[in-house]
Amino acid sequence: MMHRLAAWLGAMSCILSPVAAFAQEKSASRPGFAMAPGACILLFRPDISVGAQSTGGIAEPNADWTQEAREHLDAALGRAQQGMGHPIVTAAAPVGEAAAALAAYRALFSVVADSVIEYQFFPGNRLPTKKRAGQFDWTMGPGVAALGQGSGCGYGLFLLTEDQFGSTGRKMLQIVALMARVPVTSGVHKGYAGLVDLRTGELIWLNADRQMGGDVRTADGAAKRVAQLLEGFPGAVPVPAGSGQ
Amino acid sequence: MMGPMIGRVAAALLVLTGAAAAWAGNTLVAAGQRVAVAKSALTVAPASEWNRLGARPGRQTETWTLDGDPLNDLTFYGGIETGRPLFREVAKRTKPLPHFSSTMLLTDLPALFEQSYRIALDTPLVTIDASEPASFLGEKAVRFRYGFTRQGEEVKRQGEAVAAIVGGRLYMITFEAPSIHFFGRDIGRVRDLVASARLGA
Repeated sequence: MMHRLAAWLGAMSCILSPVAAFAQEKSASRPGFAMAPGACILLFRPDISVGAQSTGGIAEPNADWTQEAREHLDAALGRAQQGMGHPIVTAAAPVGEAAAALAAYRALFSVVADSVIEYQFFPGNRLPTKKRAGQFDWTMGPGVAALGQGSGCGYGLFLLTEDQFGSTGRKMLQIVALMARVPVTSGVHKGYAGLVDLRTGELIWLNADRQMGGDVRTADGAAKRVAQLLEGFPGAVPVPAGSGQ
Repeated sequence: MMGPMIGRVAAALLVLTGAAAAWAGNTLVAAGQRVAVAKSALTVAPASEWNRLGARPGRQTETWTLDGDPLNDLTFYGGIETGRPLFREVAKRTKPLPHFSSTMLLTDLPALFEQSYRIALDTPLVTIDASEPASFLGEKAVRFRYGFTRQGEEVKRQGEAVAAIVGGRLYMITFEAPSIHFFGRDIGRVRDLVASARLGA
């Protein structure tokens, strides 16, 4: 019940305290975690949505934009895999109950990532039990193991991008509000990437930012978004120049 | 069209500025100590650590969590008076919350809760799944289980509540968490905590 109020206050605190917002962490990993060399990673179908933001701030999904973004992001992810330092196995599209289970865990990943942002990354709202030095203790539960059955992979990678491009009306409102010294944001450009231990469900690395760059409807923008999503990925290796990135 | 909208935004900002100023921040609830909750006579003795959220759903309520309220939300309602809603109004003029009445029967309380959630969360996806007589604070009480899905989210959440009317006031403890993993993991410690509840030290 508290979720909406707390998130609202957190967001407003960011607006009211720009310095604090810039100081916010965007990435963390489980202390002491080291991925075994050569361990394969199961990449779940990324959760992608693109649309417009109405003058009143309501999301208006756009199927064409979402399809364009999916094609560009898939291509960019394909190119980025050689820099991730581990074999990447793309999870087959599930059907029936397995599809429902994947959808449920993708939704849970989004909520867990939101909680990490709100209650660990954002200093103004950090929970006392989450701000102990070096701590990063988050989980999706051991049931996530079912998603990796038969893959031979010990780790799962969840990716989520959500973009709402501000409509003309929204941008006008932002300009008028700026003159009235009232902060109004235009557009949402959210990107979350999370690596999960498929045996335990523990979240071992998260990179999450609600203000990512790159217009995912274009090839260049999608490449930029993927690079941001995978920034700091555990075990990542530098990609040689001219590799097509 | 723009003028009224800007006015609303400015008004919201003023309200939020005030709310942020009054926001006390989140604090640690230590294990093994009896503590008063929701600015009331209701006390509990947690066996493990919790976080008390600085932001309160209403005047006589208080929320504790382990990992953030989207993942585990334990809310105490410390003596809601007759004529009051369970928590703060979200749109008083257009969608007012139902009010508690001391003349309500215990069997009315799950419906009060369900209707309040439907309005506050702006979703019809709230269900009361089971309801049974119980004992709480040494009084006859009702325990009910519920489920809901928020607008714009696909995560299904489960909840369990126990409520009693003592001296004409409503005392209630609710716990809700995603059905996947979190509800099952935490409900045991919540039930132990509810069993420790009493009025007064």
